[in-house]
Amino acid sequence: MQFSFSTEVVDLDHQAPNRNKRESKYFWDEMYRLISAGGFCRIDIPYEPKWDFGGRSGIPRTKRSVDIKFGNTEGYLKFLAENGINGISSVHLDPTLFCRGSVGMFLGAAEHYGMEAIQFAAEAGAEAFILSATPTFYAVHRTLGETTETEFLKQMKDLVQRLADAAEEQGVKLCLKNEYWGLLRGEIISDFVKGMKDNVFLDVDTAHLSIAGTDVQKFIADNQKRIGSVTLTDTSFSDDGEAYKQVMPEFPAKSATWVFRDPGYGKLDLSAYADAALQAGFDGTFHLNCRNSASICRSILRARYYVDHSLNA
Amino acid sequence: MEKNIRLSHMSHWKTVPYKKIDNFRDYYYEDKSNVCYYQDWDRILRYHKQTGYEGIELAPWDLNEILGLFGTPQNYVDFAADHGIAVSGMFHGCDDSHIAEKHDEVVQAGKNAVDICASFGGRHLNTCPGNNYYGNGPLDSQGLKNIASCLNEIGEYAESKGVQIGIHNEFFCVSNKYNHRQLIEMTDPRYVHYCLDTAQIALMGDDLIDFYDTYKERICTFHLKDTADIGVSDAVRFSQDVEIQDDGHRWFWEPGEGVLPLEELWRHVADYGFKGWVTVEDDGAPDYLAAMTLSSFYVQQVLGKIYR
Repeated sequence: MQFSFSTEVVDLDHQAPNRNKRESKYFWDEMYRLISAGGFCRIDIPYEPKWDFGGRSGIPRTKRSVDIKFGNTEGYLKFLAENGINGISSVHLDPTLFCRGSVGMFLGAAEHYGMEAIQFAAEAGAEAFILSATPTFYAVHRTLGETTETEFLKQMKDLVQRLADAAEEQGVKLCLKNEYWGLLRGEIISDFVKGMKDNVFLDVDTAHLSIAGTDVQKFIADNQKRIGSVTLTDTSFSDDGEAYKQVMPEFPAKSATWVFRDPGYGKLDLSAYADAALQAGFDGTFHLNCRNSASICRSILRARYYVDHSLNA
Repeated sequence: MEKNIRLSHMSHWKTVPYKKIDNFRDYYYEDKSNVCYYQDWDRILRYHKQTGYEGIELAPWDLNEILGLFGTPQNYVDFAADHGIAVSGMFHGCDDSHIAEKHDEVVQAGKNAVDICASFGGRHLNTCPGNNYYGNGPLDSQGLKNIASCLNEIGEYAESKGVQIGIHNEFFCVSNKYNHRQLIEMTDPRYVHYCLDTAQIALMGDDLIDFYDTYKERICTFHLKDTADIGVSDAVRFSQDVEIQDDGHRWFWEPGEGVLPLEELWRHVADYGFKGWVTVEDDGAPDYLAAMTLSSFYVQQVLGKIYR
């Protein structure tokens, strides 16, 4: 089994003590060594142009930031290698940032930055470009205007196919991540991809599927030909308050909780899901994702402990 | 004794994800860290009140989430008022104002920001006059005139809505050391005021006391913060993405923790008799609760002995 660790472990969006240093390059330069010390030699990168707009190029989450600080993607890879990271397994774009104004504006921006992220993924030698299948429910419904949800999804499908074709041309797999807060949460995505070309893959994100009420092992079996990446996320959360409709669905208004937990700290049997993926013929990288951790170093080490002691690696 | 200064705090808290956490104890036990102390508006507004602030200045990049949590500006205003806090104003950036073809778009965006500020009951729309210097400077006189024209129109509209726009000139802004005073002179004093950011002016290389004395009649409010870097070189100010330094160097410190002559400034403020909102900005601080407490102590216990 191959593993990578997602730098989405670093929460940049929400308030926390000592959060500001996360905008400076030195913080990230050290982060790679910490991840490497945790036994992970490849990383998954969330692609977030949000930081480009604020001139935060110290945050290595876009092609622009990498070009500014390291000259180009090659320079970035060289720096990573010098600090214990041998490669980038995948790049994940959530286009929710662009979902405002109008559907047309959203689609234009999502395609522009989708193509940019694919280029970056290809330059980095990544296996997968992971794309959130839709923006959040809240963002879509705020933006729809006269457009129906059905029409929006049709346009989204066309966009996904164009991006998948572009990714394939550049040697990267497009994998759709269906977050529990998106329009295609849970099993709904299976119908969405039916009939699409076989260059459209799925990312099995275990916590998101579970929160959406999906039997993860059955989902893997039912979609085995489409599985392009597996993201091992843990959770203890049950969405009984329709948090998925909130502006910030990761923070359930009904009762505050840490939705995403480090591997082994939630209720999911990630080992069983990993086995199911292997049995389904998946031979790609398993991404360990401790999204938006409250304690980054602990998360890295907890993930390593889980890999060593609970996964049949 | 009559109070002349109303103390506000710029909301540099990154997105606050909860309106109010009712299950605080249970939530704490999930992680047993202090992160939950910084995650709801209820507690953050309590911190403001209890550390001596009467106001909060909103950040426009938080509005989507604030409105998502509260529904309407008035709901936020009422919630804050229940905590003894008023909205003093909002920040705004006039990107592309130096480009003549963008005039109408920039003015419309500015008017929209005025409307939003007014809807929250804010008095001050503190406005960065333009883009960063890098990639845009140096400006010719027409570029500067274009900025002034945008500010004048936005300012006139703002006055009609009970809002004052105040130029907030970042030290890395396209209007900079060699022409920012010229920009002030090009704007209409009836409509365009100045938000004196004490650190930004010093970082840019201007003389804080002389600047205050020269423009005290235009200064409608303050962003009060300290710095340890007076007169940063052109090469640095004009470089790309300079606001956040690669090595973690901080441009800004809590008042009293840097080297600015803030007590001398306050004597001039007292002589002139300024009355209104003074907003502490803690951008760059690692712990906003500690920073806002230190800042409040300085304003009230050190500067307050000179003028309050």
